[in-house]
Amino acid sequence: MEVTILVQAADESFRILEESRNRARQVLDTAARLTSEAQILQRKRVEAIFKGAKQTKADVIKFISTFILLMGFWLLLSGHYDLFHISIGVLCCGLVSHISHNLLFANPRAGDMRVIVKRFIVYVPWLMYQIIMSNLHVARLALWPKKLIDPKIIEFKSKLESDISMVTLANSITLTPGTITVDVKDGVFYVHAVSKKVAEDLMTGEMEDRVAHIFMEADHVYVQDILDMAPIFVELK
Amino acid sequence: MIIKSTVDMTRQSDDVIVKTLSRLLIPFIQIYALYVIAHGHYSPGGGFQGGVILGASLILLVITYGLDNALRRMTERLNTILCSLGVFIYAGIGLLCVILGGNYLDYKELDQILHVGIAQARSLGILGVEVGVGIAVMAVMVSIFLDIATGGLPKK
Repeated sequence: MEVTILVQAADESFRILEESRNRARQVLDTAARLTSEAQILQRKRVEAIFKGAKQTKADVIKFISTFILLMGFWLLLSGHYDLFHISIGVLCCGLVSHISHNLLFANPRAGDMRVIVKRFIVYVPWLMYQIIMSNLHVARLALWPKKLIDPKIIEFKSKLESDISMVTLANSITLTPGTITVDVKDGVFYVHAVSKKVAEDLMTGEMEDRVAHIFMEADHVYVQDILDMAPIFVELK
Repeated sequence: MIIKSTVDMTRQSDDVIVKTLSRLLIPFIQIYALYVIAHGHYSPGGGFQGGVILGASLILLVITYGLDNALRRMTERLNTILCSLGVFIYAGIGLLCVILGGNYLDYKELDQILHVGIAQARSLGILGVEVGVGIAVMAVMVSIFLDIATGGLPKK
């Protein structure tokens, strides 16, 4: 009788011991999990601060470049170069830059602005030449006694990627007489061409190549591009 | 009966050409509007014209980038404040001239507080009035457009 009670008591004490051990383990697990969660939160907060700082820096650069551009435009318009009018100009440019600093330079890439401007200036005379040539062609179409006009809509998939290069190509096509960009949807250009010749000229893709060259896109890799990329790689390392 | 607008103004334009070109043009339109306001006493233009151009730039933003983007730059609350502030500047300068002993909007009396000579006081007075008119016209234009675009319903 006494032995049975003793055994029962021993069993009971073992059970209690086991239970308390389990509970202790649970508590420890929870503590460990909470600590790691706190650490992750802390890391996330630090990352957010860094990201915010980077964002602020980018915003400031955008603000300053927008301000300089707008100030140049203001001075061009104004024509009064006394202190009063220039200070009004600084105020107005500051206001506009504050409201729309993320419009003008919505997605600039690192350090290639100067190259783009240089290449664009080289592109303009070529475009002028194309415009004159197609002008003569369209004049010939209009004045020729036989009916040479063969209007159609051609579509082609462009290899251009950024919005600004697509817009440059689309506007170049529209500026050239005989061809008009009807629509641009997901990189596919729908172009109205007035005759077979202008359509074929367009399909050779020379204009597209030149635009891709300006904005350093598609399969155009140049020494300058690699030089521009170098600081980014250094930063990545 | 509430008439809901048939066009969803919160939607962005899906045309890459329209979006990109308006993105590039809007800052220049705005600076041109401010130029028209600030040089109204030298050259053609003035508060009303400049205000309309400034309002048009914001309306272009609503059309191309959707209502939300525009409201992030210019909230309806700020718009309402500007609307009354413009009228306040205009009427305030006018009444200031009366208080200083002249007629309504008689800018030469402003010389008594500015101490810059009568001709300069007139120039500054009309500039101030034009700024007021510009702000009020811009705010009213945007307010009318937003009311039509949202079907008169307040933004949630």
